[in-house]
Amino acid sequence: MIAVEPLDAAGRVRFAVADVLTSVRRYLTRASRQPDLLVGSLLMPIVFVVLFGYVFGSSIAVPGGDYRSYLMSGLFAQTTLFASAAVAVAVATDMKEGVIDRLKTLPITRSSVLLGRTLAGVLTGLPSLAVMIGCALVVGWRPQHGIGEMIGAFALLQLFGFAMGWVGVVIGLHTRSPESADAIAMLPAFLLGFVSNVFVDPARMPSWLQALAQWNPMSAVVAATRQLFGTAQATPAHGVWSLEHPVVTTLAMALLLLAVCVTIGVRRYARVSR
Amino acid sequence: MQALAGVDLDVAAGSICAVLGRNGAGKTTAVRILTTLLAPHAGRAEVAGFDVVRDAARVRARIGVTGQNATVDSMLTGRENLELVGRMFHLPRAVARERAAALLERFGLQDAAERRADGYSGGMRRRLDLASSLIAEPIVLFLDEPTTGLDPVARAGVWRAIRELVDAGTTVLLTTQYLEEADQLADTIALIDRGVVSARGTPAQLRAQVGRARVRVTLPDADPGRVATVLDALGPRALPDGRTISVPAPDGLADLGAAVAQLRSRDVVVQDVALEHPTLDEAFAALTGAAAPAPQPAAADTAGAAGAAVAR
Repeated sequence: MIAVEPLDAAGRVRFAVADVLTSVRRYLTRASRQPDLLVGSLLMPIVFVVLFGYVFGSSIAVPGGDYRSYLMSGLFAQTTLFASAAVAVAVATDMKEGVIDRLKTLPITRSSVLLGRTLAGVLTGLPSLAVMIGCALVVGWRPQHGIGEMIGAFALLQLFGFAMGWVGVVIGLHTRSPESADAIAMLPAFLLGFVSNVFVDPARMPSWLQALAQWNPMSAVVAATRQLFGTAQATPAHGVWSLEHPVVTTLAMALLLLAVCVTIGVRRYARVSR
Repeated sequence: MQALAGVDLDVAAGSICAVLGRNGAGKTTAVRILTTLLAPHAGRAEVAGFDVVRDAARVRARIGVTGQNATVDSMLTGRENLELVGRMFHLPRAVARERAAALLERFGLQDAAERRADGYSGGMRRRLDLASSLIAEPIVLFLDEPTTGLDPVARAGVWRAIRELVDAGTTVLLTTQYLEEADQLADTIALIDRGVVSARGTPAQLRAQVGRARVRVTLPDADPGRVATVLDALGPRALPDGRTISVPAPDGLADLGAAVAQLRSRDVVVQDVALEHPTLDEAFAALTGAAAPAPQPAAADTAGAAGAAVAR
């Protein structure tokens, strides 16, 4: 057979887009073959709302009152951290099974596999986000602003999630097994998740930890969504620039994270093999 | 560490070249360079007329690769695996579907087509892997130890498939540790030892390189008197080894006949007289140094030098 090759620049772009879509489809098919993972990711939001909204939340006070309303924006962002760990595991699994070796001998755009994986990570995170929104409405979370701000808030969350997916790619490509990828990916997930304004007001943390929490990208994205939803903006910005301008900070941090992780990830991908 | 020190290969289009060597000899490194997975630190290689470094994308569009371990997606079904690879070669959907169906049937996987690959046996996975490297009808097919770990029946199936491909015009580069495999399939053999091609040629040429046929006489026991008689009968080039004595037989059957006549004239009792051709096993041992333990490279970080042209 005469090899199928792109004729011009437009053809190359068309092939590249097709490669990403093929890769997304593969990962979505794999996700659909793991119903247990799906069930787990759907139950996780409920567990978090009960655990933090009620078990801990009963003893946590935030300035401004309604803790559960305060918490929900944090939990929306929290789901993206777990999605990032899932990406790390999936990438490590591809390496372990040797699938990456085959993919690298195929005439596809090299970055399409990783881009497909991170986009699939965003898509597979949507059902658990929907469950989380359902839980939020049940516990009394009510966005105060218009539909435009609401869409903006969720778009910002997805962008942040996409960037965190690339963090997962970098972790997955640097570990030797899916198990260690999972263990290592959980570290940033917990650090970013807890040393932040997700659950508590960082103002009460010791000052060194406070600085970390205030400049944690999680804090920025959570502050941004709280601002856009208009819900219990309990965290006073305390004169911290990142929290006074959370939307800009989130955009900048997400793009920076993407620039770094895409570069490292694509380079590493070209070199790794089982 | 350097995995390849100097590998020169030239494979004619439409033929099978077997790269033979022990574990760690550099076979897989050579294949990884030729399949664009690894860039050589020095030297160059062309596959199907394209440079593997500068024109990697063009090479990838023209080759099929089956690695040492089956690299199928275990969560997809057999059919999905084939169609996925077809789509990644940018085949139109209908073509990918059609070829996937044909390949499933050809490799006896049609009954397992809708089952997930993680339920496949080792032989089935290997056949699926081979089928997926054929979906784009590659010009050159790389098979890295395609039958390692397969049972004899599965191995024969893979051999049959390889022969059919070559009959249809595909060029195959195959690595193997099995002499029998190289002997059965290959038009030419390249022997790699410690990163260097130590010998090459047709299977028959390699045998000839080690030595010609010998007449081998086996006695009932190692009685010194009888051994001396036989040595006398076979001439000065005969060598004793316990109760067997062998002598080069460059003229084959004529030498055998002469030896038998000599033995008969001396009326010596022998157990067996036979004409022996050197085996590829002996060739392998002689050419790689049988006593040398196989070097175990820590990792093939350094690809070393390679010069190769496959199907030009």
